[in-house]
Formats: sequence, structure tokens, C-alpha cells
Amino acid sequence: MIAATAPPAAAAATLNQALDRAAALAGGGLRLVDRDECERFLPWAELRRRALAVGGRLAALGIGRGERVALVFPTGEGFFGAFFGVLAAGAVPVPLYPPVRLGRLGEYHRRTAAQIAAAGARLVLADRRVRRLLGETAALARPALGCRTLDSLPPAEPLAAPAEVAAGELALVQFSSGTTVEPKPVALTHRAAMAQAAILNGFWPDRDGVRASGVSWLPLYHDMGLLGCVFPALELPTVLTLLPPEAFIARPALWLRAISRYRAVVSPAPNFAYALCTARVRDEELEGVDLSSWRVALNGAEAVAPRALRAFGDRFARWGLRAEALTPVYGLSEAALAVTFSDLDRPFSTGRFDRAALAAGGAAHPDPEGIELPSLGRPLPGFAVAVLPEEDGEATGEAPPAIASTPPRPADGIAPEPRGEPPAPPLPEGRVGRVWVAGPSLMAGYLGLPNASAEVLRDGWLDTGDLGFLLGGELYLTGRAKDVIVLRGRNHAPEELEHAVAGIPGARPGCAVAASWLPEGEDAERLLLFVEAARGAAESERAALPDACHEAVLAATGLEPDGVIVLAPGTLPRTSSGKLRRRETLRRHLAGELIPPDPVNPVRLAGALARSQLAFARARLRPAEPGEEKA
Amino acid sequence: MSAPTPAPSPASPPPPRAILDGIAEVARRHLDWQGELAPGMRLVEDLRLDSLRLLTLAIEVEDRFRVALDEEDEAAIETVGDLVALVGRKLAAREAEGG
Repeated sequence: MIAATAPPAAAAATLNQALDRAAALAGGGLRLVDRDECERFLPWAELRRRALAVGGRLAALGIGRGERVALVFPTGEGFFGAFFGVLAAGAVPVPLYPPVRLGRLGEYHRRTAAQIAAAGARLVLADRRVRRLLGETAALARPALGCRTLDSLPPAEPLAAPAEVAAGELALVQFSSGTTVEPKPVALTHRAAMAQAAILNGFWPDRDGVRASGVSWLPLYHDMGLLGCVFPALELPTVLTLLPPEAFIARPALWLRAISRYRAVVSPAPNFAYALCTARVRDEELEGVDLSSWRVALNGAEAVAPRALRAFGDRFARWGLRAEALTPVYGLSEAALAVTFSDLDRPFSTGRFDRAALAAGGAAHPDPEGIELPSLGRPLPGFAVAVLPEEDGEATGEAPPAIASTPPRPADGIAPEPRGEPPAPPLPEGRVGRVWVAGPSLMAGYLGLPNASAEVLRDGWLDTGDLGFLLGGELYLTGRAKDVIVLRGRNHAPEELEHAVAGIPGARPGCAVAASWLPEGEDAERLLLFVEAARGAAESERAALPDACHEAVLAATGLEPDGVIVLAPGTLPRTSSGKLRRRETLRRHLAGELIPPDPVNPVRLAGALARSQLAFARARLRPAEPGEEKA
Repeated sequence: MSAPTPAPSPASPPPPRAILDGIAEVARRHLDWQGELAPGMRLVEDLRLDSLRLLTLAIEVEDRFRVALDEEDEAAIETVGDLVALVGRKLAAREAEGG
């Protein structure tokens, strides 16, 4: 187990206090840049004024303390007025994804309605354009106070000040993955949100009296965008430059140009963004660009691919990008955001490990020819990371390590969550197991789901569901124990993709598995779909299955599988209770062991035939008893 | 934008053929599409555009034709032809407003 030192104290105990403070200090605000690179500046004081106006109108509508309000907005002023307005009213914002452009909306409506219901939102606030699309979502979710734009809230006097809430009250709800199947609303307190913001700000301290300013194109309904960029800027306070995510996707160069134009020090992104820039940014788009101010290029929210980082570093070194800026990190929305950071001002480091030992014994043996894994760094101040044996019988029974944890000291504004010993004796360094974390910004739980919360939260420790090991005090990840697909920094439930192929002719109902992983030496995770053919499926149906499944998944989810693998019936591994084992499916596939367990060969077929004929003959010879059912 | 089409003629919006050519140019330049683009092609099933690429298509088409596509209108779009027709309607509306 590795524990860090005490976390820095946040400058305010709640987001509302932080907004008051930032407005009073009159330093900074949000700079909103559109895709034509025109900017609008929203000072914190102006944002506070708008929040008080929206808060007054929400109160007039009957939104009460602690009640949830779902927000569906693109990146823009509307989002911030709504978000801080809900907070000012003492209520709890729940940011959700707006609809995708040109995409099919069936899945979107079901997912959004499920999230609104899971968060128990009484009201949905939306952008005017988005509002018109949400009819079906609203009809499915039926929020008590409907679905409104900010303009259609009842007129009312602005609040005099933001509601006084306690640090232990809920600040926001975020979803760890978009899913129609049992969405899990991650409930975060003001204390957790502020602790995370203060820890991040402590990581890139002022230099020469200049406050670190950031640039972000990350969605505001994503933990890295809101908790990783907006809250730290508010906590300092400083200036944060925001680009709409869609502008970055269409023109990745806009991100690098903004970093250069505003001399940004910090800008985070998931792994895919670095690969997208390397592939799509053209030299002529970077005329006059200087990336030398960029000291902290965080890479997290999905598997970090050393290849993608190296290619990015090589590609943009000509424009002043410092190799030390690239900083792999680890976190998850259940911990608010970040848990470990690799060192700043040092090139990212990787290790190579024996493949067979990792796979078989769960041990990390250095091997110069082995698989390359990036170090994700050390726990942030106040955090501890422990690798525990897997609970499904893979425990090793070895002695716990002698590394003692240093509990974080209480500091102004942050009372650390009570934290006991890890739920099981941690594995020694170099042993692969389940990664558990503890720290001051863990979620309070999954809102309204005590059982799901108890499964992952124990004594102030959180089961991340990720697999990995510690070495030299640094964290390395090797895979995932939880069933989740991570693509482009976003988590997806495999069920979403598996349900998309239900009903395709020739596919065996309920027998599909979706899984993603980062193949060795690649720059992004790959998505595979395993589908069993139905018994008795016609050869033509079987042949058409890969294309049909590919199309169905793409249409329903907007995700493109990298491969569809058609299997004989009964090939997918299942638990004794009949549940599909996704991780084992992927493991067997990668090991070349995904074969039908009971291959049908002529001898077996003859035996089965003989048995059934025998049974048939017996049934004929023996007259049925009254009331006895014929076999 | 370096687009040779459409020719900005206030009197008449560009014909569907010119819009189709413009969209094909966007697809080739930004979506690595090779070959011809036919109105009957479906964006998802035939062009195999995932959500990232659909978004890129929407933004690049907006910028090329200087129109704002509406998410509400977009929801009904399945084929290249649907997109051509939507862009045509937006351009016609702009002409009518004297743009």
C-alpha cells in the first residue's frame, strides 16, 4: 500500500463559498472560445450574479434543498448559469450528455431517461435547441417539474446570496458511464469536490507569482472537464479557457492553438485526444503556435498508451512541446477524479514486464522484451492506493507489506473521510490484484443504491474494479475486473452493445459479449464483439452476422467495433449460474482458447443419436402411467 | 475555406448536385472517404460513420456551407440525400432572409 502526505486545504468549504470568494477577489473567470476562435469572457462575479438570478427562479418553481436538477447543455454560458444556479438554490446539479450530432436518438432517449430516473431529478434544465429534442426523454422519465429552458423558469427576484450548505451535503451527481442498464449515479459532496480541486491546484503551484491557467475542450458532463478544470479554476481563482468538445473533435488543432494563444500551463485530455491530434492536425494549422507554456499535459480517463504519447511528443516537439509535459495519471469518477499523478517536469516512464508471469501468476517481473506498461505515478496528497487479492479465489495468502500508511492530517476546510485499514491485507509490491483507493474526495456512494455502494465502498476505501500492481511506489494498470468498455475517455456498459444485436437473424438470443482492451503496442483500446450463432442458423445468416452486428452496434451506440467474432453455440464462457463471463471471454480469445467446449463430431453425434433412439424405444415399450408425462 | 463550390449567388441557392459535391469533398477531406458519394447511401450503415465522425461531418458541412444545422432537423437524417436536402433548405431559408 502506498499513501501520500496530507492534502492541501481548500480555500473554501463548499462550491457556493468558492463562487462567493472568486467573485469577491475579482480574479479570473471563464473564457469561452467558439470554433471560429471568437471569445467571450465570463468573470466569476458575473457568473455569480447569473447563478443568483437562476437560483431565485428555481426556488420560485419549488426546487428545494438537496433536490436534483438534471442539466443537458452544450459547453457555454447556459450550462454555467444553470449549474451554479442550481447550487445557489441549495439543490444538486446532475450534468448529462446532450444528444450526439446526426446520430440515432433511440438509445440516447432511453439512456438519458434512465439517468434522470436514477438521479431522482425533479426537473430537467436544457439549452433551447436541446430542449426541443428531449420530448421523448421527458416522456420516458417524467420529471415532476418537467423539462425547461432557463428562460421558461418563473420570474422571481434573484437570491441575495447562494444557499449556505454544509461541506458534507451533496454538491453534484455524475455518472461513471452512460448506460440504460442500471446507471450508477456517483454522489459527491461539496467536501469531496473542493478537496479534489485543492489537491489539483496544489499539484501545479504558482510559478513566479503567475497563476496556472488552463485550457480545456473536455465536456462539462465529464469528470475531467468539470472537476478537473472548472472547479480548480474556481478554487484558485484563475482563468479557464473552454472550447466546445465538438470543435475539438472536428478540428483538433483548435486545442493546441488555444494553449498557445492563452499561454496555458495545464490542459488535460484522455489518451484518444493525443492520438487524434497526431493523426489529424496539419502543419499549416499550427503557424505561429508555441506550446512551450504547456507544462502539464495530463493523460487519463482511459488506458494510457505509451505509443500515443511518444508519437504526440515527437510530432509536436517542433512547436515547443516539452517531452516532460506529458503526464500519465489515474483516476475515476467514484473518486471525484484524480487519484495518482506521475511526476511533473520529468518525462513519463514505462516498465517492461514478462507477459506470461503477468498473465499466469499475477506477478510483475521486469523483462526487457516484455509488455510495456506506463507508470501512472504516485498517490496524490491525502490518497492511498492498495492492491488487494482478487476475491474470486485468486488470493495468494502472502504476508502484507510493511509499508505503513500516513493518514492525512485534518486541515482547514477538509476533514478527511474516516479511513481504516484496507478491507483485506494488501499484496506486496509487484503482485497483480485489484486496485483499491482511499482519499478525501471519494464519492458518498451511488445515489439511492445502498447495495451497489456497499459493494465498492468499505471503511473509507473504494474498489476501483481495475487490476494492477505497485512497483517502486508507483501504480501500473494491467486490465479491468469490472465489465466496462472504455473508449475515447468515456465508459460504456457492455450491455448497451450486446443488446444492440438482439434479434438479428442467425444470432443466438442473449449470447453476445462486448469487450475492449488496449492491445500491446497500439495507441487506443480496441472493441470486440463476440456473438454466438443460433443453433440451426442458415449458412447465409451466419455469413451475414458480422456485418449485421457491426451495423446494429454502430447505429444503436455510435461506437464502431474493431471486429465481430461469430462463435458456435455454447462457446462463450459462463458462470455456474449462467451469467456470461466477459473478462474470461476476452482472455480466452487473446490466448486462442475460445473454442466450442463440446465440439460436435461424428462419433459424439452417433452416440447422442443412439441414446435418443434408446430413450425413444424405451418410451414406446413402457406404457405411460396415468399422470406421467412422456419424455 | 478553400472550397471552390458553392458559388455564392444571391439569386439562386446551389443545386443539389453542387451540395452533394461539397459534402463529398468534406467526406474525402475529413473522413477519409474514398470514392463517390451517392444520395442513397446511409451515413451509418454504408459510410460506417461512428459518433465522432458523424459529429465531424455535421461541423464541417456547417462550416463549408455557412449554415447552422439544427439538432432537431438532424434527428431525421439517415442518408446522404437527406443531408443534401437539409442543407438545401437551410440555404434557401438564408436566401429568403436576404442573407
